Amino acid sequence: MHDTPINERRHDYDWPLAAAVLGLMIIGTAFIFSATESQSLYLRQVVWYVLGVGAAAAACYFEYGSLARWSAVFYWGTMALLLAVYAVGAFHHGAKRWIDLGAFNLQPSEFAKIAFILWLAHYLSRPREELRRGKVFLGALGYTLLPFILVLKEPDMGSALVFLAISLAMMFVAGVPNRLLAGLVGGAGLLVVLGVALILFAPVKLKILESYQSGRVLEYFGRRKSYNVEQALISIGSGGLTGKGWRQGTQHSLGFLPSGGAHNDFIFSVIAEEEGFVGSVVVLTLYTVLLFSGIKIASQARDRLGQIMAIGVVTLLFSHVFINIGMNIRLMPVAGIPLPLLSYGGSSVICSLIAIGILHNVHIYRRYH
Amino acid sequence: MKRQYAKLYVMAGFLGAALAALGYRLVDLQVVRHEEFQALAQQNTVRTIERQPMRGQILDIHGTPLAYSQAAKVICADPTLIGPYRKNVAHVLAPLLQTNEASLAERLIPRVWEENGKTNISKYVVLKRKVPLEIWEKIRQTMSSLSFAIDESKLKPRSRAFYTNLRAKAIFPEDDQIRYYPGQRLAAHILGFVANDDEQTGISGIECSFNSKLAGFAGWRKTEWDSGHRELVAYRDQDVAPRDGLNVVLTIDAGLQNIVECELTEGVKAHAPISISCIMLRPRTGEILAMATLPNFDPNHPGSFPMDDLRNRVVSDEAEPGSTFKIVAVTAGLNERLITLNDLFDCGKGQFFYAGRLLHDHKSFDVLTVEQIITKSSNIGAAKIGIRMGERTLWQYIHNFGFGERTGIPLPAEIPGRVWPLTNWTKVSIAQIPMGQGIAVTPLQMVMAMAALANNGILMRPMLVSRLEEPNGKVAVQYVPQPVRRVAGPETIREMVKALKTVPTSEGTAAQAHLDHYTVAGKTGTANKVENGKYVAKFFSSFIGFFPADNPEVCISVVMDEPKDGHYGGDVAAPVFHAIAERAASYLNLKPDLAPEPVGTPSLTAAASAIHQ
Repeated sequence: MHDTPINERRHDYDWPLAAAVLGLMIIGTAFIFSATESQSLYLRQVVWYVLGVGAAAAACYFEYGSLARWSAVFYWGTMALLLAVYAVGAFHHGAKRWIDLGAFNLQPSEFAKIAFILWLAHYLSRPREELRRGKVFLGALGYTLLPFILVLKEPDMGSALVFLAISLAMMFVAGVPNRLLAGLVGGAGLLVVLGVALILFAPVKLKILESYQSGRVLEYFGRRKSYNVEQALISIGSGGLTGKGWRQGTQHSLGFLPSGGAHNDFIFSVIAEEEGFVGSVVVLTLYTVLLFSGIKIASQARDRLGQIMAIGVVTLLFSHVFINIGMNIRLMPVAGIPLPLLSYGGSSVICSLIAIGILHNVHIYRRYH
Repeated sequence: MKRQYAKLYVMAGFLGAALAALGYRLVDLQVVRHEEFQALAQQNTVRTIERQPMRGQILDIHGTPLAYSQAAKVICADPTLIGPYRKNVAHVLAPLLQTNEASLAERLIPRVWEENGKTNISKYVVLKRKVPLEIWEKIRQTMSSLSFAIDESKLKPRSRAFYTNLRAKAIFPEDDQIRYYPGQRLAAHILGFVANDDEQTGISGIECSFNSKLAGFAGWRKTEWDSGHRELVAYRDQDVAPRDGLNVVLTIDAGLQNIVECELTEGVKAHAPISISCIMLRPRTGEILAMATLPNFDPNHPGSFPMDDLRNRVVSDEAEPGSTFKIVAVTAGLNERLITLNDLFDCGKGQFFYAGRLLHDHKSFDVLTVEQIITKSSNIGAAKIGIRMGERTLWQYIHNFGFGERTGIPLPAEIPGRVWPLTNWTKVSIAQIPMGQGIAVTPLQMVMAMAALANNGILMRPMLVSRLEEPNGKVAVQYVPQPVRRVAGPETIREMVKALKTVPTSEGTAAQAHLDHYTVAGKTGTANKVENGKYVAKFFSSFIGFFPADNPEVCISVVMDEPKDGHYGGDVAAPVFHAIAERAASYLNLKPDLAPEPVGTPSLTAAASAIHQ
């Protein structure tokens, strides 16, 4: 079975994956240009793409096993950054999620997700028997809850939930017993149901969420109208089958979509309005290719570490895609989650590309048949 | 490893289901419900704005504007842009808008209301309408130089934008118009006035009856707006210019109107009546040259006058006409060849029993010719003429002269007067109606009847509007004189004019109506007013005359309601007629038909005599 040396590097690429990434980057540039005509943000986005591809290449360069060995450093480093957000964080739109570095705002939660995937993969890649032990399970739970709580307090509900989703998927694939996972899902589900019920039916002083967060839940359940979501729906719906044409969208150019959001959180609305159903299907297809390539890579991984890591990356990308598009089409409550590779933003682009780099890393060092 | 694959299949299945859910939702939004959202997207941007037409002018016959509109502004505010600075804004705007500062600050509070579970906040409130452009310019400057006790250069961009918007956008104008009546009270009752709304709907007078012509037609502009209420000029679609209203050119001559109103004012000074009215018209055509009623009002501020002053009594009030109505009975008798001017009637020394009633004359007369009955204004004589011709003939002539129905003057609120049908006449009616009792007429009807005598027996419809003009002066509609019917033959008219000429003489009842240069034909009227069904010692006094008598150019009626210091029409109304006629004749440059009294230099007198002989 092991005819070739175990660490040999295979110089080939997962072409469908690379094509999907390239396609998304081209679409991202084109529609950031469209959404922000007067600014040169699309140029900055190209710079982020270039830096991100570089970072991804770097992530491919070291075999993922060695990345895992350094993952404790990454994990605790980003936790420190998340703490630093409290101390020196920059306020935007009522939340403290960024560290102002002058040239750009760093969003540590994005990097924390990558480090978290590496660290948890490393932690869970131990022999399957150990995963049955409650102590190990509690350890994994603890490593999840730390960033979860730090990010939740920024406040950034969306990103916090992403940590939970990644953790759940990775533990599931790693082989944590289903009864433990069911308990976790059940507990989390119960908490969510209780929270929503509190907001919907007892809007008293029991302040468990920030007021804007409970507002978004109210909006989602139709108790309150959200101008932004209404306008996003109008953008997408009015695009129709083939759209209004590139740079012909009226919703964002005339300021009906939130001016700060058209090029990042609401970029999907812009694409759907200008390119219509065809455009949104193309975008969804590219993500589908990306995600299923990820699953395929996980299935071909050389060892459990690679498999768990790949599933972590797939879950990360998937939850971003689902939450963001779901918010645009009112399947999910509004959450400030960027759309990987399409939304404008340095931290998001670079981290998405690093994540894809890690995925590709697993692909390069895959097992042979 | 099998188990591992199973887990990945679960993952893949989960992913596939989630992505399918997104896709399903997209099909629903973009394909199934596309039209619904497209309509919403259009609602976001597409607006149709009405473009108001300019209301037409009202001009006198020479083109002098009596009413015109000027562009103005409605001053509006967006309370959400003013925020905590309500009091500051109200403080600077109150003097400019001439309103109360506290109530202004009150209106600048944003209103919040719930609709379909959606909370709305008012971004539009009207502060004042009809604000002249120069005041708006001052408001704009005041707002843009507004300063607050804050160093704005130290603020964050977003807060700085608030102050920029407050200065530039919080107070904004919309198009409006102001109606001006430059003559103020001049011809107020003819012109009427407009409502104080943005439509400028005419409420009375010509403004009301010609409202649809004056108003014009609104245009519209279909265009698109962005979320900041800025118009996207490049996306203008339909842009239809409004069609401005037509100008209404009256037959009124502002000069004559002014003369009439001045002399009516003198009449008010002399006799302090409840009201005094005058109508001056050209008998040949029925064109009304001047028409006035005191008390009047200023149509620029109609609200500050009592309702009674706003009423055009010339068309809206009826009264027993008194002796002026004798012309109807006498014309009827002459035209039916039942009497001649020289027929004698016994006037019974001022008393005449008829149908159980005692009729009076104002003086004791013995036997009078028909001509003298006119000259002296004998009630008993007129009653006997009426009795001679019978009810049916009299009623027919009353109708022919246009009494009991509207004259058709283009003014609102005209009343038809009151003429009882024959079946309702009592025994005494045939004696009373010839002397102007038991019948109610408007001053306009009475003057039109007299004008029919001046117009060789043809009753005309009164003309108040000469033509309608496009804003560029092109005639759109030209109105022409409209004869109603012939009321008497030329022979009868000659006799009537002959008799009426004897009234403004020392023999007649209206010596003061005599003019130096023109022969006047006319008739006085002094009607007792009726209160609670009884005649009382209050009078409705009038004089109606036309001149030059044989080729009449103008017919003038003067009517006083309850004059003090005298009550005979010849004493109170005739002098006003005289003053108006003198000035009107000179204004109109009428050719005299009388030699002036030999005054002045002999040579001039001789020359004048030579001309007229």
